[in-house]
Amino acid sequence: MLDELTRELKATMGIYESDEEQVYGLLAEFSDPGALLHAAEAVRENGYSHFDTHSPFPIHGMDRAMGLGNSKVGFFSFGGAVTGLAVGYLLQWWTSAVDYPINISGKPFFAIEPSVPIMFELTILFGALGAVAGMLALNGLPRPYNPLFYSERFERVTDDAFFLHIAASDAKFDETDTANLLRKAGALNVELVQDDGSAETAPASSL
Amino acid sequence: MADSARSNSALGWLADPLASTADAAQRAYRFTSDRRAYLAPIAIGLALLLVSLVGLASNASQFFYSYFIGWISCLTIAVGGLFFLFFNHLTKASWSVVVRRVNEALVWAFPLLFVLGIPILFGMHDLYHWTHEELYVEGGPKYDEILAGKRGYLNTPFWIGRVVVYFALWIYLSYKLYVLSVRSDVEGGEGVPAKLRKVSAWGLPVTAVATAFASYDLLMSTDPHWFSTIFGIYFFIGGILAAVSLMVVLLASFQRVGGMLEGVVTKEHYHDLGKYMFGFTVFWAYIAFSQYMLIWYAGIPEETLFYKHRLMHGWEWHSAFLIIFHFIVPFLILLPRFTKRSIPTLSFMAVWLIVMHWFDMHWIAAPTQGAHHTFHWLDLTLGLGLFLIFAGTIVYRLSRHSLIPEKDPYLGDSLHFENV
Repeated sequence: MLDELTRELKATMGIYESDEEQVYGLLAEFSDPGALLHAAEAVRENGYSHFDTHSPFPIHGMDRAMGLGNSKVGFFSFGGAVTGLAVGYLLQWWTSAVDYPINISGKPFFAIEPSVPIMFELTILFGALGAVAGMLALNGLPRPYNPLFYSERFERVTDDAFFLHIAASDAKFDETDTANLLRKAGALNVELVQDDGSAETAPASSL
Repeated sequence: MADSARSNSALGWLADPLASTADAAQRAYRFTSDRRAYLAPIAIGLALLLVSLVGLASNASQFFYSYFIGWISCLTIAVGGLFFLFFNHLTKASWSVVVRRVNEALVWAFPLLFVLGIPILFGMHDLYHWTHEELYVEGGPKYDEILAGKRGYLNTPFWIGRVVVYFALWIYLSYKLYVLSVRSDVEGGEGVPAKLRKVSAWGLPVTAVATAFASYDLLMSTDPHWFSTIFGIYFFIGGILAAVSLMVVLLASFQRVGGMLEGVVTKEHYHDLGKYMFGFTVFWAYIAFSQYMLIWYAGIPEETLFYKHRLMHGWEWHSAFLIIFHFIVPFLILLPRFTKRSIPTLSFMAVWLIVMHWFDMHWIAAPTQGAHHTFHWLDLTLGLGLFLIFAGTIVYRLSRHSLIPEKDPYLGDSLHFENV
């Protein structure tokens, strides 16, 4: 039960587990952003959920095509912001009224007025850090190892190629049926990616 | 069908400088409600002003204060609308094309506001302490050295001259922006965005200076000993927040009550207007606090007096209410994405922020009238009355033309706009 939950959680972060035969999934290449967008739509409509798209640049409308909801980064940001506000308040109060009180031109040791800028800055800082940390966590980053790196074609993903990857961990995954679906969606080629954990292995064979 | 938009008759010019072009508008962009949409608010507004005349007879000072607070609230909204229009043109914002006509109708409120400002001349003695002659009698019992030093600037003829100049500038600029855009509906939109941008390019800095000085003359000088250099920004930011809110209220009522602009103004546009409402709520608090903190830190009596007045005799509640309901609550409500995309929630917040803008103006002007906190029935009748006339004439202008600049070259982008 817990394993299942962890697996699903990791899948939302783009981290999929390989199956018993070390099959990581199918990688399909598409000719252009539009084709990739329509393929993502087709894959989602066929009931897949463990899939991801890879392109050299962001594609307008891809979130909707893939059926991704709203980003949840805002909650991390808000949590960070509230923490920053509280930390700023405590910092101001503790340093100026408890730890080292100094009388400056008769002003109170602690007052909210001069503390607001500190609280404000820490709200922004912690909010921003929360947003970055939340973004990394939700994307499953940093991720130095990805079985997709075994594919030679995939090297072009930061240059001029557009890929869709369906993970073997998806409940609907089937080597032949899924490959057929991808071809029907207009894939230029489809390859099976093995996660054998060894960089010396020959590139996965084309199906 | 007219192939060029004609000018309106002399008296109607105040409400709308152009003759109606509604017949030339595409059916989907036409105003389809009947006359009651603007006649009702204007009639109620006039009735409220008439009722308020009873107050003029019994308590003239209160009448002028209440009138001034209502008038300055509407004026700041118009000024805010002018700035919003400027920077949308200057940034070539294409998302805002479908909401731009409402903004344009909003800025042509200046001529009417100028006329509505005339009664204030009769209340200057009540509103502006610096108009009292006895303050300048050297050796006299009421001689005020500080105000005598400011007399070269703060004197009635120069003050009236300056206010007329501000209005002339605002009216000229809003005339340009309004007429160029409305004319393009019938005469074609080629090259019009470039012209509008050109006007905005010089209009923005000049209006910024004029607005800052208008804020000192009209509002800050109700407390003539006090000064704050950030006051112009405070004045403008409250206005722009209320202007965006008023646009949301107008658009939402056109769509939800009048059934107009279906599929033209979408959730995406409300979302962007909502972002502006949120952003300006934060910016208002930022400026208001900046002003307060510097004065608190320096602790110079002539500056702290402004806040001292507002932190005693019941005004402390008024001040606390302002912080909570002009900033904290709207901030938290407008923060999430879904509230900005929910039209009922956003419209509710828009009405709220307009009311809070009036409350803010009341907070600045009313304490100079008397030390003790009060709300008078005239505040309600005159504030609401002037606002209804102000809003009613905006609807009147919109009823006479297409509801969007339908020949704008960027209209297509705006219609298909989506937040990523």
